[in-house]
Amino acid sequence: MREKTGILCLLVAGCSTVLLLAVIVFMALESWPVWSVVSPRDFILGTNWNPLAEPIQLGIGTMLVSTLWTALGALMLAVPIGLCCAIFLAEFAPPWMTNILRPVLNLLTGIPSVVYGFLGATVLVKFFEVNFAMASGESLFCASLVLTIMVLPYIISTSESALRAVPAAYRQASLALGVSKPYLTLRVLLPLAKKGILGAVILGFGRAAGETMAVLMLAGNTMVLPTSWFSKGEPLPALIALELGTSVVGSYHYQGLYAAGLVLLLFVLLINLLLALFRRERRSGVN
Amino acid sequence: MIDRLWQTIFWLSGLLLLLLLVSILSYLIYRGHAAISLEFLLSSPKGLPLGAEGGILPAIKGTLCLVVLAVAVASVPGLATAVYLVEYGEKNSLSQIINTTVQCMAGLPSIVTGLFCYALFVVRLGFGISLLAGGLALGMMVFPVIVVTARDALLAVNNHYRLVGIALGVSRRYLLVRVLLPQALPGILGGMLLAMGYAAGATAPIMVTAAAIATPTAGNLFEPVMALPYHLYILFSQQVSLDKAYGTALVLVSLLLVLNVIALWLRQRKGRGV
Repeated sequence: MREKTGILCLLVAGCSTVLLLAVIVFMALESWPVWSVVSPRDFILGTNWNPLAEPIQLGIGTMLVSTLWTALGALMLAVPIGLCCAIFLAEFAPPWMTNILRPVLNLLTGIPSVVYGFLGATVLVKFFEVNFAMASGESLFCASLVLTIMVLPYIISTSESALRAVPAAYRQASLALGVSKPYLTLRVLLPLAKKGILGAVILGFGRAAGETMAVLMLAGNTMVLPTSWFSKGEPLPALIALELGTSVVGSYHYQGLYAAGLVLLLFVLLINLLLALFRRERRSGVN
Repeated sequence: MIDRLWQTIFWLSGLLLLLLLVSILSYLIYRGHAAISLEFLLSSPKGLPLGAEGGILPAIKGTLCLVVLAVAVASVPGLATAVYLVEYGEKNSLSQIINTTVQCMAGLPSIVTGLFCYALFVVRLGFGISLLAGGLALGMMVFPVIVVTARDALLAVNNHYRLVGIALGVSRRYLLVRVLLPQALPGILGGMLLAMGYAAGATAPIMVTAAAIATPTAGNLFEPVMALPYHLYILFSQQVSLDKAYGTALVLVSLLLVLNVIALWLRQRKGRGV
């Protein structure tokens, strides 16, 4: 039983689907000529980015390593903290505490990335410069620290709902057996909510890898292959944000940046599709 | 013993969150309050380099223009998509595809949105670096936020209304316009405010499509605009003035907090009864 309104809404909703497709196609089109100069393999693995040199060098390997390093580093810190917070919210927090923490989480996501980046650059970087006698405190580690705070709310709320989705029967059974509450959460609920928590980790990874402003202001922006967590680097989004304005439209430089954007886009899309798959599986698993 | 330890760890991690927000806000207030004055808020950037002696009125105006444009562009399609997902596409495969797409769009890195809009609006369609291009880019960015919040608001409407409507033989459209949408209105408005806050803080997309270091006017669709987050970025990265940067950050964060608090309050409210 379809009506005009329904069809209209469907049309609009369909357009939004097409819009995502358009983004992919458009990015591919803009970067098309560059693939005749450099093969996809060289583009991704190459470590020299020199779009103005002769012959032209386009390799985003360094930037990819920086991106992965900052994002994975952020996850290493955010996942344990986030899980503890999620367990606290789902199992231990008294209602008044939950009523405080829920808006706190919302407000933390409401603080824009440029402010996080700015605070990180003025507080954290200064701290490293003063206390560790570094010439300049910017590093992948700083970027990871700030990204940790930024992805924390996403990880917490997703894993909290995963914990809450565990059927009550398990809790009742454990209570009846006289098991302590920490044991119950760590040994029973956590393994049961494994899939949902993995989803939370993936979501956090996608967020951290795509974040621009914070890494732009904190990672140091040097195009050297990072060798440790404490060296500088230039993650992919920072490269694009820094160079797009100065690239000549239609030049290999411009197309190279779109190719870099395409790589980032496909990477994040893949992560999101994985996430969608996960969610669907979980839903059918619960029913 | 071990149990005690775990319990303490969980409590501490919860308190850490609270501490995080409180310390961020209090530090911003501590460093930023000195810069804020009526003159700072109500004049154009002054000094050399520009902005060193404050003045953020054009940036505030520009951000408001961008945000209003973004939500105006995204709200109608967002609402329509949410209505389709909840009221018409009852869990068919099409609505599943749309759901997944919306999720993917929400996960799109904002710089990629910026790249797309730069190529399409600024270069191909010839808008140039402009308020219009930036508003469209932000609109694209907040579209999934509006869909998801409107969807949740509609889902939260008590199902009895739908059943009663069907039982009374009321047309679906009447039911939607006269019963369901008014019920979901606070949630939908709250979602739009949330989207506004999201758009107001976004920097990467407008950095490449709309923002200028300084413009005398704000509001012309085809001119670049100043915006608070970009102004903050420039004040910091060009080392114009750290004090003014803290002031700008404080203004931006206060604006967003107000928006977010109203949004939270609205989303928890129930719509008016029928």
